[in-house]
Amino acid sequence: MTTTEHNQDLSWLNDVTVTDLERDPYPVYERLRRESPVAFIPALGFHVATTKETCREVAANTEVWDGVISPAGGRTFGHPNVLNANGPEHDELRGMVEPSLQPAEVNRYIDDLVRPIARRYVEAIEDRGHADLVTHFCEPVSVRSLGDLMGLQSVDSDTLREWFHKLSVSFTNAAVSPTGEWANPDGFIPGDEARADIQRVVDPLIDRWIVEPDDSALSHWLHDGMPEGETRPREMLYPTIFVFLLGAMQEPGHAMASTIAGLWTKPDQFEQVVDEPKLIPRAIIESLRWTSPIWSAVARINKVDTTVGGTFLPAGSVVMLSYGSANHDANDYDAPSDFDLTRAPVPHLAFGAGKHACAGASFASEVCRIGLEELFEAIPNLERDDDHEIDFWGWGFRGPTELHARWEV
Amino acid sequence: MPEQHDVRLKTLETQVACAADQNLLDAFLRANTWLPHGCSQGTCGSCKMQVLEGEIDHRASSEFILTPHERSEGLALACQATPRSDLLVEPVAEVADDGVVRHPLRDVLGTVSALEDIARDTRRLVIDLDEPLPFTAGQYVELLVPGTEIRRQYSMANAPADTASIELHVRRTEGGAATAGWIFARMHVGDRVEVRGPFGVFGIGRPQNEPAILVAGGTGLAPMKSIVAAALAEDLVPELWLYHGGRTEQDLYDVEFFRDLDFRHDHFHYRPVLSEQDWDGANGMVTDAVLEEFPTCKGFAGYLCGPPAMVEAGRKVFKRRRMAPRLIHQEEFTDASDLARR
Ligand code: HEM
Repeated sequence: MTTTEHNQDLSWLNDVTVTDLERDPYPVYERLRRESPVAFIPALGFHVATTKETCREVAANTEVWDGVISPAGGRTFGHPNVLNANGPEHDELRGMVEPSLQPAEVNRYIDDLVRPIARRYVEAIEDRGHADLVTHFCEPVSVRSLGDLMGLQSVDSDTLREWFHKLSVSFTNAAVSPTGEWANPDGFIPGDEARADIQRVVDPLIDRWIVEPDDSALSHWLHDGMPEGETRPREMLYPTIFVFLLGAMQEPGHAMASTIAGLWTKPDQFEQVVDEPKLIPRAIIESLRWTSPIWSAVARINKVDTTVGGTFLPAGSVVMLSYGSANHDANDYDAPSDFDLTRAPVPHLAFGAGKHACAGASFASEVCRIGLEELFEAIPNLERDDDHEIDFWGWGFRGPTELHARWEV
Repeated sequence: MPEQHDVRLKTLETQVACAADQNLLDAFLRANTWLPHGCSQGTCGSCKMQVLEGEIDHRASSEFILTPHERSEGLALACQATPRSDLLVEPVAEVADDGVVRHPLRDVLGTVSALEDIARDTRRLVIDLDEPLPFTAGQYVELLVPGTEIRRQYSMANAPADTASIELHVRRTEGGAATAGWIFARMHVGDRVEVRGPFGVFGIGRPQNEPAILVAGGTGLAPMKSIVAAALAEDLVPELWLYHGGRTEQDLYDVEFFRDLDFRHDHFHYRPVLSEQDWDGANGMVTDAVLEEFPTCKGFAGYLCGPPAMVEAGRKVFKRRRMAPRLIHQEEFTDASDLARR
């Protein structure tokens, strides 16, 4: 099935299941980085690129590679979305989402947007003495910040959280049978429900923005660059709205939670960061490397035959960019599975590369920074609650499922 | 006269002349260009700067404070590095305009006008200065030990408004060149002394909304005395607590002075605490006394000066009582020569 120049016997990949990967993808990917940096995983039905070098090569070489959405992702979002679009269509969608996400623009509004939100969620827990930070801080701060930027003030945070959770289940429902059928077709039901829900809520908002534009991102998506009196058709917007309502809503929360979990593996470093808030950005960067939130969720497809990492790929091969694995590449990082604030900051790939690289990197990093600043400022005596394990979960998207903390009140 | 080099500061577009044997921090502070710094001894790392152009000599910079990796990236400790050529530099820490008035670094001569034992192994040293030396409450000076190259740091205990003389509190260190060898031995009233300063960022330099909790161990009281004087005279804080810890009553000093202030100012509270003697005042570790009195320190600012273990414990207590870490200030004492400051 896969022709490699490594002459490696990769038959062990036949036994790899999506469930295994979701629980802990690292052992499989570590072995692949050694044996075959690009390899076909039968349970997924496509190739994965696992090293820094191969991910970068595939992501950056737009002569050979187009952006493509994974089959389960396409089933969840529909077309045309920013992940899947290429050429002029991609340019238009990027041009639509980028204005409010450019670093200079983000700097202008981010503090006023995020700090009050972060304060509010800290205030809700600070006198309780304990909390699951994923549910009660990281996720709400993440969804509220982006929700308010997009113009979804009327949608409460729990609904936004429910939407991304449901979309996420469908998006990562990647398993296929040996004949190429969906292994769990029911896995798409949550995503279908969320989509219907979203359209029910967002349609009336769009109706209003068409006649009453405001400064929300979605209103700009409708109007910017359109001839006077015209708006972008909503069918053109929705798939990308779904991209935002999943990844962009979920990932800053994952990143914040992983940063705290990472720091808890090094209590000295945790203490140092709480004491010196200026170290927070560095902790976030190391966490993005350590547990990349978009671990393995975006793909490319080749327009011509090519060989990458010693593996021949006939035109039309889908290759999943496993950034979470590339960020553990031993060529770049000593003891990659250790969280370590002091490691030399070799650039990571957590935000991807090439034309499809994350448009929200600056926004996301700032949300995480401000969130953690407010959390550590208000609760400097935060500690890990040892009565609970910290479980990381996910192959497409990855982060701690819960993060129990306690503190003296 | 040694060779001079021009050192330009990128962000502020200022330029100073720095001698080939002069450290960069010294050159900037002397020119009244404020740079972030802490210990000025190469131990705290807060004066790190990026050398964008030119060559420097790291001199005695420790590999622990300035790692080989940082050196390879062009970082330097401003308080250690000397120029080998003209330079373009940029401090790593933000040079924030925080509204604190900064005073230029200067060398001033003075005459010992008082030297008295005030507590166990502790002397008060007053030096009348030939010229005034303006400083901010909490800052320190260096004294040059006569006949040596050794400089030791001591915090001013007098109010910053008194610029004609400085009051220092000195604790004897066994075998210490500056204390056992000088201030506790051959120093006399009338001696001439070389003073360099002011240094440091510890203290209260402008009015603040947060009430302040000051915790001092031993001669860590010196900067606190200056801070209290400035805070009361200039109305810098809404309310102020001063904790002073010692083992027995023999370690306390200026007790009457602070009791009197406490009596006269409703918003100043003095709390002496003894760890090894029962008395009618508070007992135990000074930091535990804070823990007991304050159910929460949220919204307070904290100031710590004393032995490293006390500073560490104080920081823990403040955080346990949920004081925001950015409002916790401490003197960094990170090596033996620094300990002599107190
Ligand atoms: C820490 C949080 C985040 C991480 C780790 C992250 C990571 C990524 C990654 C790996 C990609 C794919 C890059 C590639 O194909 O090479 C991506 C794409 C994208 N991200 Fe993010 N992201 C985060 C948050 C956000 C946020 C908050 C937004 C928007 C506000 C956003 C907007 C986008 C968009 C629009 C794309 C699609 C770009 C394209 O295909 O042209 N992301 N992100």
